[in-house]
Amino acid sequence: MLSSRILSRSFFASAVNLQAKLTDVLIVGGGPAGLTLAAAIKQSPHLSDLSTVLVDAGDLKEKIGGFYHDPPDNFTNRVISLTPQSKHFLENTVGVSLMEERIQPFDGLYVTDGCSNGTLEMERDSMGFMVEILNIQSSLLAKLRSSNAPNLDLIDKTKVQSIEYEDPEDTKSWPVVTLDSGEQYKTRLLIGADGFNSPVRKFSGIESRGWFYERFGVVATLKLEYPPFKIRGWQRFLPTGPVAHLPLPGTNSTLVWSTTEPLSRLLLSLDDDVFVALVNAAFILEDVDLEYYYKSLQEGTITGEELIQDVDFRINEKFNSFKDDSVIDEKYPPKVIDILDKSRGRFPLKLSHADTYVAERIALVGDAAHTTHPLAGQGLNMGQGDVESLIKALEKARQRGLDIGSLLALEPYWADRYPTNNMLLGVVDKLHKLYSTDFGPLVSLRTFGLNLVNSLQPLKDLMVGKVSGPSK
Amino acid sequence: MLSRTRILPYLGRYYSDIPKYNPAFINSSSSSNDAHPKPTHNPTFDKSSGTSTSDDEIFHFQQLAPTWWDTWGSQRILHKMNLARLDFLQRTVRNQIKIKNDDVYIPGFNHHDHLPGYVTKAIDQDIFNEVQRGLGEKKFDALDIGCGGGILSESFARLPFIQSVTAIDLTPECIEVAKAHAAKDPSIKDKIFYKFLPLEKVHGHYDIVTMFEMLEHVDEPSEILRQAWSKLKPNGVIFLSTINRDPISWFTTIFMGEQILKVVPKGTHHVEKYINSSEIKQWFEDNVQGRYEILDTKGTMYLPLTGWVEHDCTNIGNYFMAIKKLN
Repeated sequence: MLSSRILSRSFFASAVNLQAKLTDVLIVGGGPAGLTLAAAIKQSPHLSDLSTVLVDAGDLKEKIGGFYHDPPDNFTNRVISLTPQSKHFLENTVGVSLMEERIQPFDGLYVTDGCSNGTLEMERDSMGFMVEILNIQSSLLAKLRSSNAPNLDLIDKTKVQSIEYEDPEDTKSWPVVTLDSGEQYKTRLLIGADGFNSPVRKFSGIESRGWFYERFGVVATLKLEYPPFKIRGWQRFLPTGPVAHLPLPGTNSTLVWSTTEPLSRLLLSLDDDVFVALVNAAFILEDVDLEYYYKSLQEGTITGEELIQDVDFRINEKFNSFKDDSVIDEKYPPKVIDILDKSRGRFPLKLSHADTYVAERIALVGDAAHTTHPLAGQGLNMGQGDVESLIKALEKARQRGLDIGSLLALEPYWADRYPTNNMLLGVVDKLHKLYSTDFGPLVSLRTFGLNLVNSLQPLKDLMVGKVSGPSK
Repeated sequence: MLSRTRILPYLGRYYSDIPKYNPAFINSSSSSNDAHPKPTHNPTFDKSSGTSTSDDEIFHFQQLAPTWWDTWGSQRILHKMNLARLDFLQRTVRNQIKIKNDDVYIPGFNHHDHLPGYVTKAIDQDIFNEVQRGLGEKKFDALDIGCGGGILSESFARLPFIQSVTAIDLTPECIEVAKAHAAKDPSIKDKIFYKFLPLEKVHGHYDIVTMFEMLEHVDEPSEILRQAWSKLKPNGVIFLSTINRDPISWFTTIFMGEQILKVVPKGTHHVEKYINSSEIKQWFEDNVQGRYEILDTKGTMYLPLTGWVEHDCTNIGNYFMAIKKLN
């Protein structure tokens, strides 16, 4: 009786999806995490025979893929910091050749407090690599194309219309994914690499918790007056949020300025030269000066021309106060002289963490599982770590003859990644909170703390190790 | 909570139940049956040939059948153990692959301790590729005796070097559950043949015969071993796992597993049916002397946070064994 019930059930279920194509893995989302996973599956000796489908709404093949063979002269504004481990994984395990000439390694970080003289200087050769997201995506696409992997379908310019279980009453049955092209795929394992608003996560019923920081990240590609004296990242914690500029090859640099929503709108509305003056001011002048500029701009009591002159005057005044000019190169980033046309953009900052990354026949990677404040440059690297761990879990499962969609096969991935990601999310969140105030006693306390850390080399090494991996 | 006064007599009673070490144990079919009355009636086939299991064992597994595939259910610990079985099996099978390519350097020493990292990595990669190629050419037929709900059979069927799996069990409900579960996976449903059959009625010869967690559930293990051996092709390998008959096994598998932690369904184990690894070895020495080679024996134990891990103490607790039939 048991078997006849199961048989009749699966008969009706399969009648509905008669035309559905079967696949082992279906990845929703062609961002860095999704593409890395597809390429890593095809590269693995234990997984390469799995039939794999990747679906993305964007123009992956021509627009993003074309970046590799015909890159623009300028740098795009979506730049991330890649840790040495992530780069090693991409290059050695996945076998990707990134566009080296568009990558800038940096040898340290110089962190300051906008409300005090708190300073933290971290140094290590090739501590991280500034890479355009398009560089990563297009290099992965080039790898997928050149390896000509069998059993791989890249479906771009296509949206997922709906997801349902083959047997709606059985959450262990295979998910059936319907695309807006009308095609249907029945998949053994469904991967959600579909970002913060992950439809796959919603389908799985996995809860995600977190909050918006009520801050926006403003990005832009900067032009510097001269190549930096020291190739390192500069980050200054202002009460509105950290502002960072990180090196790109030559005299290029990329900006991430986290700030409040009204200020982010203001920053986007300014003329290029006024914006440039404010960026310079943000790294050199006092927070009260900045507050004055914001207020005057918002009230229209200062013209752009006046602001530029005022910033120049005050910066010169500050620089003249140093007896030794070389201190300037030590303490401040090179002067920004221009920004790339139309390179300004903004995005909301938030923290989110899914309760679990796996369910029967479903796994989440990257932003679908967790999003973080960009102040530590960990977001994309956490996604790469997820993929690396998921690949290991799948390889192990394959050698053990497990169904790769079963919870038993996927559990080790979650067990491996959740604590690491949770730790990073927590630290970044606390840092954000600690620095988003100008309350006097707290400023003194954090300045004391930061300067103390700065004088404790072993502790600094430990911190650098946590974000960039163990030293060689 | 169990008080000390309650626990001690309890321990003592079980200790005294454990039969003393006896190399002839697995050859004697009657002694272990006294506690469990012989079945008087079996609805489906005649059990006089002797490799069958008793009715209360069949009844026990009948009860478990519906939750067999719930990996968080009654059989979770068995699902976990299956991972260790497959690791043992993969390693043993891989070690049997002969590298014929002379260009592949096989160091005759522990190269990890003596050569730089990048060299050992290259050596390991070369050997791995060669073994992978050799394994790719293999097409093994496997026989899974006592397949239950098919946890091992399905894992087997997904391995690329396994061509077919014949899986038998004496609990019809388990066979039904196994069939229904395998039918859901298109990649294996045509590779596994589940049969409600006693071992002696199985036809054909196999490259791999497995008896995992099975010998401790039958009345006449020696007869099962004899039958299994006869179904094995030359160069074929028997994989078996069972439990040593000692107080530690009783403590881990019955006292902790079934009574305290309740990770094993109650009534799964009977300590008097456990078989020592030395007794298995003795059986092969007595019955097929010179025609067998023990490829590997490993103890295995369950660590609650880690799962099943292997160790080298093969005469305590659970163990795996691989025995090859020499040509």
